[in-house]
Amino acid sequence: MRKVAIVGCGLTKWGVRAATYKELAQEVVKPLFDDVDDLDRSEVDSLFVGSALVDRLAFQAYPAPLVAEQMGLTPTRMCMRTEMACVSGQAAMRVAYMSIASGMSDIAVVVGIEKMNVPNLAETQASMACVLDREWDGVNGLNAPPYFALVAQRHMHEYGTTREQMGLVKVKNAEYSATNPYAHFSKKVSLEKVLASPMIAPPLRLLDCSGITDGAAAVVMTHGDLAKRFTDTPVFIEGLGQATDGSLVVNLKSLTTWYPMKAATRDALGMAGVGIGDMDLAETHDCFTISEIIEYEDLGLCEKGQGGRFIEDGQSKIGGTLPINLRGGLLCCGHPLGATGVAQAIEVVQQFKAEVPRERHVGGEWGLCHNLSGSANNHAVMVLHRGG
Amino acid sequence: MGQVDGRFAFDFYPLESEQHTRISRFFDHLREGRLTTTKCKACGVVLWQPRVVCSHCRSEEMEWIDLPREGTVFAHTAVLAGAPIGFEDEVPFVVAVIQLKGLDFRVVARIDDAKYEELHIGDAVRLKVITLADGRVWFRFVPAR
Repeated sequence: MRKVAIVGCGLTKWGVRAATYKELAQEVVKPLFDDVDDLDRSEVDSLFVGSALVDRLAFQAYPAPLVAEQMGLTPTRMCMRTEMACVSGQAAMRVAYMSIASGMSDIAVVVGIEKMNVPNLAETQASMACVLDREWDGVNGLNAPPYFALVAQRHMHEYGTTREQMGLVKVKNAEYSATNPYAHFSKKVSLEKVLASPMIAPPLRLLDCSGITDGAAAVVMTHGDLAKRFTDTPVFIEGLGQATDGSLVVNLKSLTTWYPMKAATRDALGMAGVGIGDMDLAETHDCFTISEIIEYEDLGLCEKGQGGRFIEDGQSKIGGTLPINLRGGLLCCGHPLGATGVAQAIEVVQQFKAEVPRERHVGGEWGLCHNLSGSANNHAVMVLHRGG
Repeated sequence: MGQVDGRFAFDFYPLESEQHTRISRFFDHLREGRLTTTKCKACGVVLWQPRVVCSHCRSEEMEWIDLPREGTVFAHTAVLAGAPIGFEDEVPFVVAVIQLKGLDFRVVARIDDAKYEELHIGDAVRLKVITLADGRVWFRFVPAR
């Protein structure tokens, strides 16, 4: 197997964008190829498109060839779309990794694109709700916010996690997103403001939830022998893990311990031959404030049930045990489903290359990206290492 | 009731007739006020939701069994905003994971006639069957007070 590196990154502005799905695909071409300016687009032999809900929200099936045309690409090896709901982005990178490592592809573009804002947001909500088992879970009006509200209620009940501790996750991520011009929400917020925001699905309030956001994120990936042609600092994908635990909410092993996350983390770290303590930073899937608290626990950064205490003690901030979600996370960047997993990797790459604002720069050489989907029934973890 | 007439791609409720599904008896049972699921005759496993093939042993021999009509709240929340299309007029409503009485078995369902803040983990609830405008049926729970 060949080594696989990320050698270029591009992001569009994220937010409620006056732009279509196809226009987001066009927009991301410029920042991406500006970042690898000695790569001619004709050399890109493979394209992997991470989009979760394009069929429903842009009423467009079969997006990969369409995106290829919009981006001016003519893949001759692999061209496909990956769909794993909120993990569609990291799933695309995972497939690109396999294709490059195996020798099937040499130079691949991975792009995550999602257009979430449509004229009637109740349609977006319905399309999100059918990520769950539509006939038995979604039918009850269950959707992401009420589902993660059930998780939060159980975590508070079982471990004594507090509303304030959950709010502190948003406060931290907002502090970092204030340095991120690509973020949907780039203003600092106080704990008081989080706790006074409108109730959406108790105990979760508006500022406990990630946004409904449009955006795209793209990377160029290639094999180890070619990587140095494009950058002095290739970032190698050294470990990958993914695990899935069914779909129906009541058949999950637990609401509050994410066993597939533990398995995916173990596999990714094991493949890279490192431990969680070797990481210099991490991007974790903070779709809701409670999610990040559970992620501290299931990454093994603290004892089970102590995630609330972990944020209270500032252990996920710069200078703490492990800085987490320095771009502002999903809570502040927003969550264009297929783009999120790619953007998480971009933050780690740009941290390694010192291409982020000084206020949030930690650098280092090892980073972890965690992306989850659905009812937290599927988790993907990727371990990145700074080369050069 | 959450339906969008003539728009299948936004209709959350299962198509329940024999023309559309092999578990139409689940809905017949609901009409009789019974919550049921399938038990595998070969290996004995009881699964939610009802199956036509056992995912444990691959047997196609299933029998219907009754589930308890009573249970307790394992977790609950309420949808106050951001409801899916078709459900907007029903906001606010309570959604819960319900532990069925005497069984290690849970179902997700709405709880009618209840407010989020008045319900607590462990509260008793009982089955309620609703009929949609087009005659299809579904199940919810109500507080058992």
